[in-house]
Amino acid sequence: MPTSSDESVRIGDAVFPKPFANGLEFNAPAHGTWNIVHIGFRIPEAHQIYICADNCLRGVVMTAAEMGELGRFSSVVLEEDDMTHSGRIEETTIEGVTDCLRKLPKVPPVVIVFPVCVHRFMGCDIGYIYRVLEERFPDVIFVRGFMDPVMQKRGTTPDQRLRKAMSDIIPSLPVKADTVVFAGSDMPASENDFKKILELNGLTIKDTADCKTLEEYLSAGEASLFICQYPAGLMAVKAITQRLDRRYIYCPLSFDYGTVEEELRESGLSVPDRFFEDGKDACMAELKKLKDLIGDTPVAIDYTAVPKPLSLARFLADNGINVKTVYLDSVDVSEKADFEYLQNNFPDLILHSTMHVSDRRPVRSKEKVLAIGQKAAWFEGTENFVNIIEGGSMYGFNGICGFMRLMEDAFNNSKDMRDIVPRKGLGCRSCI
Amino acid sequence: MRKTYRILPVYTGDVSGAASALYEFGGMTVIHDPSGCNSTYNTHDETRWFDKESLIYISGLNDIDAITGNDDKFISDICAAAERMKPLFIALANSPLPYLNGTDFKGICRILEEKTGLPCFYVNTNAMHDYSKGQSEAFLGFAKKMLRAPEKKIPNGVNIIGMTPLDLTSTKIRLSDSYETVSNWGLNTSYDEVIRATEAGLNIAVSSSGIAACRYMEEEYGIPYIKGLPWEGRPLDYMDVERRHSKNYIVGEPVISGSIAAYLKIKTGIDYNVIAATEITDGLLLDCDRKCHGEEELEEALKDADNIIADPMIRLISHSKANFIELPHFALSGRLYLKKIPDLLDPGLYYHGI
Repeated sequence: MPTSSDESVRIGDAVFPKPFANGLEFNAPAHGTWNIVHIGFRIPEAHQIYICADNCLRGVVMTAAEMGELGRFSSVVLEEDDMTHSGRIEETTIEGVTDCLRKLPKVPPVVIVFPVCVHRFMGCDIGYIYRVLEERFPDVIFVRGFMDPVMQKRGTTPDQRLRKAMSDIIPSLPVKADTVVFAGSDMPASENDFKKILELNGLTIKDTADCKTLEEYLSAGEASLFICQYPAGLMAVKAITQRLDRRYIYCPLSFDYGTVEEELRESGLSVPDRFFEDGKDACMAELKKLKDLIGDTPVAIDYTAVPKPLSLARFLADNGINVKTVYLDSVDVSEKADFEYLQNNFPDLILHSTMHVSDRRPVRSKEKVLAIGQKAAWFEGTENFVNIIEGGSMYGFNGICGFMRLMEDAFNNSKDMRDIVPRKGLGCRSCI
Repeated sequence: MRKTYRILPVYTGDVSGAASALYEFGGMTVIHDPSGCNSTYNTHDETRWFDKESLIYISGLNDIDAITGNDDKFISDICAAAERMKPLFIALANSPLPYLNGTDFKGICRILEEKTGLPCFYVNTNAMHDYSKGQSEAFLGFAKKMLRAPEKKIPNGVNIIGMTPLDLTSTKIRLSDSYETVSNWGLNTSYDEVIRATEAGLNIAVSSSGIAACRYMEEEYGIPYIKGLPWEGRPLDYMDVERRHSKNYIVGEPVISGSIAAYLKIKTGIDYNVIAATEITDGLLLDCDRKCHGEEELEEALKDADNIIADPMIRLISHSKANFIELPHFALSGRLYLKKIPDLLDPGLYYHGI
């Protein structure tokens, strides 16, 4: 079965894992997701330096500006002569980074350096650059970032590699058996069964997404267990736990009770009596409340809202919620079972690309739609939407209940979609 | 070091400039760049996204196609999109990797014209210049490809050339009734309007981005042009107003800054010197004015300032004793001061006491 050349397809007719044909790409004006600038600033006291062409630089420097973080951001502009003279790109990168650091009032303890696509394309000697920089600034920890979107369609994305580079600077410290760290996510764990159970077990909880000082961030190296709840952070967590010889648990927000129960049971943590039964009961009660409230209102979900959008669609559809559309461009392999289940049981569910050329002219219905995620809100043109990315770092029965409460709130209270969705980095400071 | 920026952002880049210039012209602009790179333009350099549609896409270039110089996918994707979206023309914009591998954009344009039957032109960008260059190339490319000799002339007709949200938010050009606006390139406009440009008797370049297209229309269609914002109902070439050296500076795009300086000179007798911080300056500066490239040069140039009119971000590199008059410029500070950008055509709003 061929992939669809249209912007949408019934899931019953869709191809796994790429339902849509490649083509020119549209970019919807919903920008709540985090980019590498937002992610990099999760290291307290770190300074970011980008070395790239003017147009490429504009997006990242304005991200920092809109966060009010220009004091922690510098840049080096690449010009034609950097690409036509042998060795010039290394020289410009080294001298540019050096100049930026010397102009700062105080040399920062951590510097994240971002070479770009052209560094790769020209075979730039990145190792040489860091050797020189580390000789010149022996007290600085250099984090090896990269902004190379040309590589992202095959293998790992720049943000996955950045998360790994950021974890590479966490040192191996003496293990504290009672310390557990949430790592790999952009937002601190919120309504989260793991967090609740860790607290009940009397363990010390750290979170790399919620560190106030560099010392606190680096102290993640003493944790005995790492918990990763965001797919893009998994590579980093696997790497650091392998390097430090620690254990990790991977458990992204799932809407399947069985998966939650299995992940919590296999964690090795002590789970209180009736935790699962009570959790399921609470979810069922919240589901009934949601269903009573929204009735047959169509629901649209986008892939930026939750790590597993098809798991959410399946959960809601199975419980009588009228899920109409899921906005995504590909299906993660971890969602294969959910994809097949929906194909067989809800074949009329629509999968809609977010990048298709015709998306520039979205066809919007006049009926009230409850959207989950900013892109879904923009495509549906609705002000009733759950303003969330990355599952809001929720997890488990608490997370599922919390999620449904957000849906109820979104149904009852409209939001200013035009003001909200163009703002970058949901959860970060926005100065616009 | 000239290429480093300690704290200032760079101006909007040439690729975004090209997309902004052609936004309302009815065509399809394709940026040959990796997936997601159009987010910069979409997010930070364009204000019209919610109000007016435009066919601006990115090719989603990947490493293999860039390394092997595979243009077939690029061409076939454009053909498919054109078939679907029915643009009136196709414009192609370059980026660093296709620039490095020497992609033959003009050749690709010829192939696309054969395959789609649509006019197609190349906008000479590579992401290493500022928006004024990209806009200039886009306006010129459109003029060369799309304009034809007029069937009728409108002697008092004028075209406003070089107007985009990157420089100007208002189209309230205050021309007296003796002038008729034929077209605006390119804000609050349309294909049907801009294609009539050759009917006009005068072009007004309201920014440096409009100069190249004006020169082309002068050479090709005999339409004279002047440079500068019209004041008080009549066109005025700001270069005709004499100004002297002073320690009062206006920082920004040279035509707009020069126009404001000329207006202030006429109205108040005060001399302001232009510090042109954008790229196109040839023939656009008086002897008292100067060009600055980058943060370091700009910081140095402002060291002796008594008065500065500039985007608020310039304050970050200005000494504290200078009197600073904020004039937000979207191409520099983007959305940060968007709500505070005044109508540039009404200096009383930002220069009090005129």
